[in-house]
Amino acid sequence: MTRQTTIEVPGETTIEARGLTKRFGPTVAVDALTFQVRSGRVTGFLGPNGAGKSTTLRMILGMDTPTGGQALVGGRAYRDLADPLRTVGSLLDPAALHPGRRARDHLGWLAASNSLPARRVGEVLEQTGLSGVAGKRVGGFSLGMKQRLGIAAALLGDPRIVLLDEPVNGLDPEGVLWIRTLMTSLAAHGRTVLVSSHLMSEMELTADHLIVIGRGRLIADMSMPDLIASHAPADVLVRTPHPALLADVLRGRGGIVRGEPDGALAVTGLTSEAISQLAAAHGADVHELTTRRASLEQAYMNLTESAVEYRASRATTTAPASASASTTTPEGPRR
Amino acid sequence: MTTAPTGYRATLRSEWIKLRTVRSTYATLAVAVIIGVGVGLLDVSSIAGHWDTMNATDKAAFDPVGDSLSGFQFGELALGALGVLAVSTEYATGMIRTTLAATPRRGALYAAKVLTAGLFALAVSQVFVFGAFFIGQAVLSGKHLDVGLAEPNVLRAVSMAGFYLAVVTMVGFGLGAIIRHTAGAMAAMFALVFLTYPAARALEGFSYLPDHLVLPNAVDVLATTHAPTGPHAARVPSLGFAYFDLALYLVVFLGLGAWRATRDA
Ligand SMILES: Nc1ncnc2c1ncn2[C@@H]1O[C@H](COP(=O)(O)OP(=O)(O)OP(=O)(O)O)[C@@H](O)[C@H]1O
Ligand SMILES: [Mg+2]
Repeated sequence: MTRQTTIEVPGETTIEARGLTKRFGPTVAVDALTFQVRSGRVTGFLGPNGAGKSTTLRMILGMDTPTGGQALVGGRAYRDLADPLRTVGSLLDPAALHPGRRARDHLGWLAASNSLPARRVGEVLEQTGLSGVAGKRVGGFSLGMKQRLGIAAALLGDPRIVLLDEPVNGLDPEGVLWIRTLMTSLAAHGRTVLVSSHLMSEMELTADHLIVIGRGRLIADMSMPDLIASHAPADVLVRTPHPALLADVLRGRGGIVRGEPDGALAVTGLTSEAISQLAAAHGADVHELTTRRASLEQAYMNLTESAVEYRASRATTTAPASASASTTTPEGPRR
Repeated sequence: MTTAPTGYRATLRSEWIKLRTVRSTYATLAVAVIIGVGVGLLDVSSIAGHWDTMNATDKAAFDPVGDSLSGFQFGELALGALGVLAVSTEYATGMIRTTLAATPRRGALYAAKVLTAGLFALAVSQVFVFGAFFIGQAVLSGKHLDVGLAEPNVLRAVSMAGFYLAVVTMVGFGLGAIIRHTAGAMAAMFALVFLTYPAARALEGFSYLPDHLVLPNAVDVLATTHAPTGPHAARVPSLGFAYFDLALYLVVFLGLGAWRATRDA
């Protein structure tokens, strides 16, 4: 079939949302969302609780009908895919199974539904470390085991597009490491991985690209380094026995200096070389000088906070503040 | 291997695997057999045992086919439950989302489910009723009260009893698809099979039509060799009307189920 002969072109658009909108009564869960997800990298899908991530994924998978706009996978609506599991593997809800069925049978009916060879069942059970419990009824599975079974189901059709909604929930550290390796290796093989998560430290290790939404709207669509750099600048930690003196000197040269609780100085706006030279010139000893890259968590907090401000200001004034508008990229950077 | 894209056969195979890999399927079938065959056996044994002392009215009411199948008056509930569970558990457990990811075309999915559950119900029902019939005749043969399949109306009565059980299964199935909650659909199925009979009787002052439309009266004509006599005779529909009843129930409940199943999950 075409699946085996398709050469995955990294960077190709494989998932696309165009003005995607979903209303539940008065609630606008997803609001005119437009983005593209590309192959060959892990795209993190971030946003606060209730931002609309799961609703967006359900619309991509043809489970919810959009109120407006459309979602395409591999250029087609999900419902029009022939044997969709061969193109798209997904994990939305690890509990979406019959508790009385054995793990092997759960994968068995899934495989049969898309005419997948029966040997795939054994292969994905092996791959997810569930071979030993293949004959057990899934109702007795722990959350982590259900999560693994859900991932096994997602991998069953050897798909080139993988959608995972909070896949590390309930996984033990070994499982977290395993799924991180899995996602990065899928991406390295040219596949598309779209993964939602609230665990920023985990996302920072896994994702290459990020799509951030808030209240159903797109807040950011950019690479991990760009997002961190633009929303949480790096600072320099300076430890000195003369903090007051050095702080004055650095401020005089345009640095922004904050005191850390332990008496150290956190400096932005000056490079570590400049700080070191200024300290030496003013006779201040320096015991530690560390450039600290900001974490995704900080960047995310700043980003979603400004998104809330942005939305509040928009609600009361007609002209959006240009400073906050610049932090939003509603069209995505590649349009 | 040949890969028919989300072929109809693939969906059918998948639904068949679902049906035979949960315990509730076997549990409901076991209950249907135990009650259906067991109660029928007790019934005909008691008749055979008391035949010599029975009065003429009771002897006239005796139907070697109907009495050997009488256990399914209760056993049918287990089959109705099988039908309910075939759908309701998908919604109650949330598994329907996994199903829809694999088979996004709801209409085709529903049709495959109907066909799988329907054919399965029909097959097991026929096995049950013919089994109960032969066991019953074996008991009755001691008093030479038994009948053979070649005698008038016997084959029709036995096979229609099986068909009726499959219809009850599919009414349960339709209710499961409409209501989506196991307990609610079970209660509705129970009410439809048992409570419509007294409800229709309460309306006899106005019309016998409700009587003719309820399943227990239809089966009294379909699954017996001779129609009931006495006051009950007015209540039961003609054989033709009873066939119409079965078709009506199938169309209404499977139709409503189809309408519901093709909306958003
Ligand atoms: N079936 C539904 N009916 C009504 N409202 C819904 C439904 N599904 C989602 N919503 C609402 O849509 C909004 C977005 O929910 P969604 O589950 O997509 O958010 P999320 O980003 O996945 O959140 P979380 O991080 O908590 O998983 C919420 O306000 C939620 O209450
Ligand atoms: Mg969610």
